[in-house]
Order: sequence, then structure tokens, then C-alpha cells
Amino acid sequence: MQQSDDLFRMEGISKRYGGVRALEQASLTLKAGRIHALLGENGAGKSTLIKIMSGVVSPDQGTMLMDGQPVTFPSPAAANDAGVVCVFQELSLIPELSVADNIMVSRPPTRFGMIDRRAQRQIAEEALARTGASDIHPLALVKDLPLSRRQMVEIAKALARKPRILILDEATSALTAGDVRKVFEVLKRLRNERLALLYISHRMNEIAELADDCTVFRNGSNVASYPAGTKSDEDVIEMMIGREYHSAYPSKPEPVPDKKPVLDVQNLSWGDRLHDISFSLKAGEIVGLGGLDGQGQRDLLLALFGVLRDVKGTVLVDGEPVRIESPTQARDHGIGMALIPEDRKTEGLMLPMTVRENLSFAALDQLAKSGVIDGKKEQTLIDRMMKLLSIKAGNLDVPVGTLSGGNQQKVVIAKWLMRSPRIVLLNDPTRGIDVGTKQEIYQLLRRLADEGAAILFYSTDYAELIGCCDKVLVLYDGAVKRQLVGSEITEHALLASALNLPEAERVQELAS
Amino acid sequence: MTERMPSFVRRLDRAVVIAFACIVLLLILGSLYSSSFLSPEYLLQQLKVASFLGVIATGMMLVILLGQIDLSVPWAVSTGAMMACAAAAYGDVGAAFAIPFGILCGVAIGVVNGLGVAYLRIPSMIMTLATNAVAQGAMVVYTGGFSPQDSATGAMRFLATGSIIPGIPNVVIIWALVGAGMVFVLTRTSFGRCVYGIGNRERAAYLSGINTRRIVMIAFAVAGGLSALGGILLAGYASKAAQSMGDAYLLPAIAAVVLGGTSIIGGRGSYLGTIAGVILITLLQSILSVMQMPEAGRQIIYGLVIIVMLLLYGRTAAER
Repeated sequence: MQQSDDLFRMEGISKRYGGVRALEQASLTLKAGRIHALLGENGAGKSTLIKIMSGVVSPDQGTMLMDGQPVTFPSPAAANDAGVVCVFQELSLIPELSVADNIMVSRPPTRFGMIDRRAQRQIAEEALARTGASDIHPLALVKDLPLSRRQMVEIAKALARKPRILILDEATSALTAGDVRKVFEVLKRLRNERLALLYISHRMNEIAELADDCTVFRNGSNVASYPAGTKSDEDVIEMMIGREYHSAYPSKPEPVPDKKPVLDVQNLSWGDRLHDISFSLKAGEIVGLGGLDGQGQRDLLLALFGVLRDVKGTVLVDGEPVRIESPTQARDHGIGMALIPEDRKTEGLMLPMTVRENLSFAALDQLAKSGVIDGKKEQTLIDRMMKLLSIKAGNLDVPVGTLSGGNQQKVVIAKWLMRSPRIVLLNDPTRGIDVGTKQEIYQLLRRLADEGAAILFYSTDYAELIGCCDKVLVLYDGAVKRQLVGSEITEHALLASALNLPEAERVQELAS
Repeated sequence: MTERMPSFVRRLDRAVVIAFACIVLLLILGSLYSSSFLSPEYLLQQLKVASFLGVIATGMMLVILLGQIDLSVPWAVSTGAMMACAAAAYGDVGAAFAIPFGILCGVAIGVVNGLGVAYLRIPSMIMTLATNAVAQGAMVVYTGGFSPQDSATGAMRFLATGSIIPGIPNVVIIWALVGAGMVFVLTRTSFGRCVYGIGNRERAAYLSGINTRRIVMIAFAVAGGLSALGGILLAGYASKAAQSMGDAYLLPAIAAVVLGGTSIIGGRGSYLGTIAGVILITLLQSILSVMQMPEAGRQIIYGLVIIVMLLLYGRTAAER
């Protein structure tokens, strides 16, 4: 009996992206009529696992069994045909089409080769009703719906495909408390209809309410599976952390008190993405941004750098209020800010251009006299940077795209150091680069701070925050939930506040 | 094999080499038809004809390097010519300012293009096409629907047909100066670096603190001014301005830039390539007309050659 309940099994699944290991010998078993929760911190491999399950990427190794038969999903459509349907975190709706069009987008009902609008509307209505969202008109345009309604349409779209296995990846993150309750009722009903559900959420209370089984992922492998309710939150966090530290971090200096902050941010808000963020940054200090991925850290860095429009709140540099409305203003002499952006390939570098051109690109105004580049000055500064960061490039006139990822990242950092910035913002600068280069970057950050720069450092890797930062701001849902200073910065504290455990969660629910 | 080539050859873009090879091929083919194709007089004449296109293509190249396009060339050329001639009607002072005034009108068209593309974010294909129509309408209103009778000033004619250095037409010298200026701007100034940067990845350029909108704006203004200068020279060459004189320069200008190896999506290309492209296009047009092919056949072959050559380049780009 137990065996026949196994609807879907994955065994020994491994997946690498370039040199980065995303999954290593991972396995997972889903049973019909049960809700299975997947837990793990950023980069633990959850996303890759469900991408493999839903046919978005194919595994390098491993087998998948459905009803005991081996299956492969070369495309998302193949996974859908087999009954595996995923509700992704990023909305996959087409804003310009109606709700009904979106729900039936991949396989609309046809009559004489044309879309049968009446049938389509009927199916859409049924799917919406099943989702508990019958208040949404099937002919409304998706772009006219608020985010929480769109998420309901997304779930309805998945249900219209008649899944046997339904994967929900952070599907409730955009929903209001009322909608979450409705969705939970739907999910429980689906469980009674003998579907297998895989539920991914960072909200521990949701998991406690919903899940029958839990599996914890860490470093690309499943470390534990247990029936829900048999472990405390504390134990779960221990399991999610439990990793070895092997990176060497530079030692931290004693905190210097009573220094005036270089950057002082007061009540910064932006739309519904950033809420009332206040903090200060002193010279010689490395402040980390923590929290789960996508809680507003990137928006905060972009807001400070003048990229976002209509940012509310006050920013003071050296005690003087400033309005930064473009990166041009942000890098100016009075402010001296630099941003190492998230994606070096599209935001940090022009890959086909040479190392030299990329290095001097952010400092052209300082290298040029009345618009003409001073070649000698440029060469001197570039030589200094190449040495300072020990960038390995055959010569300066090769396209920067031919360098290794680590060296490319060094070029991105060096191009801003050419300006000797006073405030350095870094957006996950060590993502996807090798350990050796990571360590060089840690050393460099500390040296810059010692030389008087103020550094704001977002990382998705908690170990980095612990190793590098004097202070960490933990963001949750666009607001600073907790500030950890010095020895308070532990993996446990970071993860607990990133998950917003436990009191804060309840307060938030009441508020919404 | 490539190792043994001298370094300056290795540094050359493949497209530039192909374009120059095609020029040689065309000349050989032409000389089989008539030996006069290799005479210095003919070659100098072709260089002179190419100079008008060269000046216009210089502006086009700047815009294409940004990843944009300027379709307002036809009426920027005509406006420059007609406004310069119009200024000449206002006595000696008018005649003295004819050329700067014509160029300024072209710059104004470019500024409008730049405002639309950079600040209002209108796709350049639409924006410049619209500006072209507006400029056309304005000129028709101004002339009352007839070809203007104003003739070119002496200075315009001197620039277009005279030769300050014996044996070398002035217009060739003007193209050389414009070209040298563009090479300097593209290789030595921060503006040039920014143009390539924006063409490659506008987002990265913006996040580097570059005022990308101002750069785009200036580039369009320069392109408009150079189109107008081309028109002024053409008016000097023909002794008068005509309404449709710019029509024949849009496709050749784009073709010359792209045949010269400048990427149509921006960010890559050298001025040497544009020189090769301009000469190639001019020779092609000349040889087809010398062969006394009927106009329709000439257009077909001309268009086909451009398509075939672009296909060849597409192949090389894919190999990278």
C-alpha cells in the first residue's frame, strides 16, 4: 500500500551550471494525496530541482520515475502532458491578454481551427471557481488586475491543465491574507482529490499549517525528510544551516565609535517594494544586506544609486541632504558613490569591448581633458588597477568577454575603483565565481574599508555576510526587520530573522 | 596562417577586408569592360562623387554605432541645401552665413530626432521617419510646392567643384577632414567611447554613470548637421538646390556603413570600413551606369548586391 502511493520519485539528480554545482545526488519522493514542503536557504537547490521536475532544465544525471515508470521531460510541455504543472514565483501571464486567454494560452479549445471563445470562457470560469477566485471576470485583461489577483489567475491556469502533481514555488508571496486562506482551502481540497503537491515557501507558519511531509535541502542535496510537525523551527533552521566554512575571511577591526556617518538613509520608500528603510553607513565600515533573495535588497541599492524614479525619503551624505536622480549624480565628486551591479554580463560590462575600454568607462570624465582621453593617465591608472586586483588578462586590448568569470568581476570592481569612490555599493559580487577570487574580493573590501571607504554589501551567501560585515541589515518584504551588529551576526540569527520568525510574522498577518 | 600576417592586417575587421577586396574585384571587372576604369581621371572622379555620400554616411555611422538609425537623411540633406540657398538671397551677409545656416538647420532636425529618441524613448526608426516627413512638409510650404529657384553661393560652388590643392577636388578634402574628425572622436575622446559603450549595452553604460541621453542627443544632432553639409555640397555641385535631392542618399548611406562592417545593432565598427563601404557603393553605381544598363535592372542588381554582401557578413559574424 505504502509503495503504491509513491506517485513521483527522483533519484540521484545532479545538475551543474558551468563550474557551479546546483544539485548533487538529490532525491525526492512525492505521494498522492499529500502536501510536501520543500525547505532550504538561498541557493540550496530548490529552484533547480523544480525546474528539472517541470521540464525547464534537464538534469546531468539521475532518474525520474512516475508511477514507477522512468520518465524524461525534454520540455515544459512534456512535463505538463505527464501531469506535472508548476506555478512559478515570477508571474508568467501575458498582461495584454484576457484572463481566459491566459488560462488556456498553451492549449485553447478550438472549433474549425479557430479558438472557441465560448468553450474557453467556460473552462476559465470553472478553473477560477476551483481556485476560489470566481470574483475575477474571465474576460478582464490581466494588466488591469492587481498583483494578488494575478497570482490567483496563475494558480487557476495551472489547475486548468488538470495536473496530477502541482508545484507551487513561493506562490503565496504576493497574496493577501484572505487569498492565502482561499488558496489553502483549494490546496487541501486538491489533496483530498489525490493530487501530489509540492509546496515551496519561506513562511514557516504556512508550512506548519499545510504540509504533511517536509524535505530540507542544503548545498544541492536533500539532507532530511520528516513528517510535518515532528521537528521544531529551531531544528529545521539547524538542518538548513549545518554547512562547513572553508573560506578565509580577513579579520575585522575593532568598531570605531562616534564617527559621523558618510551615508545616512532615513525613511526610504519606493512604491510597494521598499518600506521605510533607515540606516547609516560610516567610513571604514562594511555593512551587509541580508535576508532571503528578493526581499528588496537590489531595489534598495538601485534606489540609493539614483536609478529608480519616485523614491521617497531622505538621503544624507556627510550630513548634507542630497537628491540623487541618476548614476551620473551618484558618482559625482560630492557623493562619490559606486555600484557594482548584479549582472556583470549585462549591467557591469560591455563584453565585446576591450579590457581597457571597460576599465576606464566609468572614469572617462576624470581621464579626459575637454573630452579628449589622456592616454598616459589612463594607462597609469589601469596599470595600478590591474596590479591592485591582480586581473589576469593576456593584454588590455582583448575583449573583456574572453576573460574568466572571476576576472570579469574584478574588472567590474576595478572600473569603479578607478574613481576612488567613498561609498561602494555591491550587489552580490561573488555570485558564480571561484573560491579563490571570492577570497581576493573579501580581502579587497576590507582593505578599501580600512582606507576609508564605506561599503554596503548585499550577498545571498550568509557565510559571506558573517565573515565580512561589521553590521548586517536583514530585509524582509522590503523593510529592515533586524539589525545585527558584531558578534550578533550568526548564521542562526541571520536565517531566523530572514524567515521573519516568529513574532513578526503574526504581526504582519494582522496588519494585512 | 593568421599568425604570419603583419599585426596591422590582423587587427583589421574581416568585413573591412572583404569590402576592400570587393572594391578591387569591381575595378578588375570594370577594366575587363573598358580599360578607362583604371585611369587616374576616372578614379579621381569616383572619389569626388563618393565624397558627398561619404560626408552623409559619416553621420549615419555615428547613429548606427549607437544601435539607432537615422531615416531623416533625405530631407535633412534637402533642407540643408535649400536653407543655405535661401540664406544666399539675403544679400552679402546672407551669402556669408549661407553654409553655417544650412548646417544649423540640419542640426536642428537632428536635435528633434535626438529629443524624441533619447528623452521620449520613441524608436528611432519611427521618430526619424516622422521628422523626415515634417521637414519635407516644411520645405514644401516654404517653396510653395515648386523647386526653389535660389542658386548656390560662390562659396558653396567652390567647395563642391573647386580645388584648392591642384588636382585634388575640394570636396574630397572636406570628406577627408570630416572623416579624420570622426576617427579622432571615435578613438580618442570620451564621447566616442561612450558611443561604442551605449551601442554595446546601454544599461551598462547608464549604470556606469554615463549621461546616455545626452550622448544620443549629440550623435543625432551631429548626424543631422553632416546630412545638411552633404546637401550644401550637393547644391554647390549642381549650382542649385532641389526638393528631392536627398532621396537618393538614404539607402546608400545605410548600405555603405553596414557594408563597411559596422554592426547594424550598434557597438562595433570602424571608420575605415565606412570609407570602404562608401567607395564600394559609389563604384557599383558608377559601373552599372557606365554599362548602360536600364534603370530598372540597375536598381535590381544594386539591391541584390547589397543583400548578398550582408549575407556574407552575417555568416562571418556567426562564426565569432
